Amino acid sequence: MSINHLAPSAPTILDPARSTDPSTVAQAIRFIRQRHWSFAVGSLLFLTIAVLLIISPWIIPHDPAAQSLVRRLAGPSAQHWLGTDHLGRDLLSRLLIGGRFSVAIAAVTLILCAVIGTLLGVVSARTGGLTDEIVMRVVDLLISFPDVIVAIFMIAIFGPGYGTLIASLTIVGWTPFARMARGLALEINSREYIRAAEVLGCTKTFIIFRHVIPNAIRPIAAISFLRFGHKLITVGGLSFLGLGVQPPNADWALMLAESQAYAERAPLLVVAPGLAIFLTALSVTWIGQGLEMKGRNASKVTQ
Amino acid sequence: MWMIALQRFLILCLTLVIISLLAFLVPYMSGGDPVRTIVQSRVGDMAVDPASVEAMRVQLGLDQPLSVQYLGWLWNALHGDFGYSFVSRSPVGPEVARALVVSFTLAMSALGIALAVALPLGTLSAMRPGKAVDTVATFVTQTFVAVPEYWFAPMAVLVFSLYLGLLPSAGWEGPASLVLPAVVLSLRPLAYFTRVSRAAMMDVLQAPYITAARSRGLNMNQTVVHHGIRNGAMPVVTLFALWLAGLLGGSVVVEVIFAIPGMGRLIYEAVVNKDVPTLQGSFVCIVALSVLINTLADALYILLNPAVRIRHVH
Repeated sequence: MSINHLAPSAPTILDPARSTDPSTVAQAIRFIRQRHWSFAVGSLLFLTIAVLLIISPWIIPHDPAAQSLVRRLAGPSAQHWLGTDHLGRDLLSRLLIGGRFSVAIAAVTLILCAVIGTLLGVVSARTGGLTDEIVMRVVDLLISFPDVIVAIFMIAIFGPGYGTLIASLTIVGWTPFARMARGLALEINSREYIRAAEVLGCTKTFIIFRHVIPNAIRPIAAISFLRFGHKLITVGGLSFLGLGVQPPNADWALMLAESQAYAERAPLLVVAPGLAIFLTALSVTWIGQGLEMKGRNASKVTQ
Repeated sequence: MWMIALQRFLILCLTLVIISLLAFLVPYMSGGDPVRTIVQSRVGDMAVDPASVEAMRVQLGLDQPLSVQYLGWLWNALHGDFGYSFVSRSPVGPEVARALVVSFTLAMSALGIALAVALPLGTLSAMRPGKAVDTVATFVTQTFVAVPEYWFAPMAVLVFSLYLGLLPSAGWEGPASLVLPAVVLSLRPLAYFTRVSRAAMMDVLQAPYITAARSRGLNMNQTVVHHGIRNGAMPVVTLFALWLAGLLGGSVVVEVIFAIPGMGRLIYEAVVNKDVPTLQGSFVCIVALSVLINTLADALYILLNPAVRIRHVH
């Protein structure tokens, strides 16, 4: 970025460690500045929640399972910052630890869906013919299945468990990714550089991994974050019904279900865990939206 | 055109066969002997007599090969006969029909609310993109996507039923009990409808016939009312059908919270009570209806949109 374009650039090449570090940070800052404001706010919120969930076992003030029937349904105090629930367990501790399962399950499901969907979509766009036809008809079909019903059906057969939960949500969840990846891949396939790569004799696999997927990754990342919130809410809904995360574990949706009967006496018990799910879902939704939309700064920076 | 219709119809039939097969196999996949389960459910906590299990097996025709059993079950299912519920001892068919009517009413009310808010909001946003109405509408409706219904529902009950005493907190008696669940359910479709109608209207307002209408001297509002909305609403119609299919069974959480005797609660209680015939009946009906509604929505979209009709590629 020197003003004198003719100046020798040798020093930067000789010291790669020094030159790459500021440039990646600068790149990240530039990337964020180009996005809509919701990307930065969403990322900040999500990172905060993620860090809190990860370090929660070491920072919680009380044992989240320790009951004290004498102190049940207590209001906020110096000892229990957010009060206690119907069994006298510390609400703050349960809140900090309670997102681990559902966020992890949602994340794993989402990654599986995104990877399976993208690969199938891209491959079927590249291959065409019968493969394409079959994959897309399966997508047409599965996309209309209500995911909660499929999950409930599978849990009825195999019993509640994290494996069942992830599998059932993945079976239906990959379809939007496949449809989108196929659309993107068809568009990319018609570009000049793909023709060039074909003429050069590149293999189908090489073209898919070197050209198609890297070019389709950003819209897919955007939709992934948007779906993340949806997945989190679905996992929570199943936990709420008693079909997801099971009782000895603290979980936001489970806490909501347990404290419904006490909503009038201790509204915080209902408000707090719901707010936690809402904020987590909102943060990823904002990240997704920020990735989709260009921010106000975009034109200024790129031109 | 007819080839596509035929293809869709065949796929529909194939799906129904696969779904019914899955439902039929539930008792076999969940482990344990189904006949034993039935006998157990009749004798309660008492010990099961092996001889009575075998007698029951022959009596129910469960000693026959699976394929014969499946065809018999399918034949009955096609006539609306899914057997008798383990819990209520009444036929499953009519129970499912009753629940479907309830869920349909609920879903249509929720989607009606969503549509009534989203169409004008999306149109207004599209007419003045980037202005205050657009920014606020986009922000607020997109926030709705992140609201879990199992959080919003108890809060709404807390405020409107417990504190204000305006609306019933649960049950299914009269229009008043429909208000809270319908509003809770409408939030997410509302967000998507607004987004899609905004995008569709943005496209429509760029179209040459809008320019033509404007140059004939119509003002902006007249143009939008006469030419814009009809064309802009089309993608929303498809989305409406998708959501209708999704909400028929997918509103489990809301139906359980508000104690509404709909499809979602029926299937949930079937799972909790291990009521196999009810589970089979409701699962087959929900999935069959979802797939059917989606196929019809696709057909409608193709029929309404000549451009898609001519070059039918995705």
